[in-house]
Amino acid sequence: MTNETVTVSIEVAADPAIAFDVFTSEIDAWWLRGPKHRFKPPWNGCLRFEPGASGRLLEEYADGSSFVIGKVQQWKPGERLVLSWRLPVFAENETTEVDVRFEAIEGGTRVSVEHRGWHALRADHPARHGLAGRDYEYMKAGLWAENLMALRARLERGRVDRR
Amino acid sequence: MRATAKRVERPELDATLVALADPVRRRVVDLLKVQPRRAGELAELLGQRAPAMSKHLKVLRSGALIEAVNGSDDARVRVYRLRPERLEELRDWLGDVRTFWNDQLGAFKARVEAQSKARRR
Repeated sequence: MTNETVTVSIEVAADPAIAFDVFTSEIDAWWLRGPKHRFKPPWNGCLRFEPGASGRLLEEYADGSSFVIGKVQQWKPGERLVLSWRLPVFAENETTEVDVRFEAIEGGTRVSVEHRGWHALRADHPARHGLAGRDYEYMKAGLWAENLMALRARLERGRVDRR
Repeated sequence: MRATAKRVERPELDATLVALADPVRRRVVDLLKVQPRRAGELAELLGQRAPAMSKHLKVLRSGALIEAVNGSDDARVRVYRLRPERLEELRDWLGDVRTFWNDQLGAFKARVEAQSKARRR
């Protein structure tokens, strides 16, 4: 609880250099679409990495505006990618960190994502819990709005069950 | 689903998250994961004065994270123990973040394997 970190990994049949390249230069082609996965309405923005150690990850919209998801902190092709990670509901000084590792294994690459720093967000942060409803507008724009609704449903079910 | 979202107050969840927003209180939760303890023990382990500890325990109780029960050795002694239900709910929240990344990596796998094959040709 004191260290709120999420780690997931997957093994892919591609070598680490290709995995890194597809992860970064083709992110818009594979990143899932829709309000659950994209960052801001109308949910049709295009994701793009500016490559290199001083690069950024942006979501760009048809009207020419963009949202900066994060700034690259480490850019090691075929090995590791570290970037800051912000959602539109974050305040200016709030951030989390995403650390992606590409590790050569037999027949391909293990890609691991560690998303850390959630504990730094204030307890009633809408990204932590849009459930209270006071930040409904935030929640609507939030990346995990639907997940949060599902969580709320689960919480409310649980409460009934416990009675 | 979003269209049906209403302004629903969840004061008890607010209280839980507020309770966990403090490092001392998170340490209390960590300690109680191991075993129930008396207030005095917690204060000593965490280097807190009794009144401060008592305040922290009150916040944790109102966040439904801990409860006071009579000790098994001496019924006159109150010990604090964890109420795991609320922690389970919060773990679910991080589980949603995990699901999000699992979905993305699944989509990534499909793309990178197709591209890898194409580039080898």
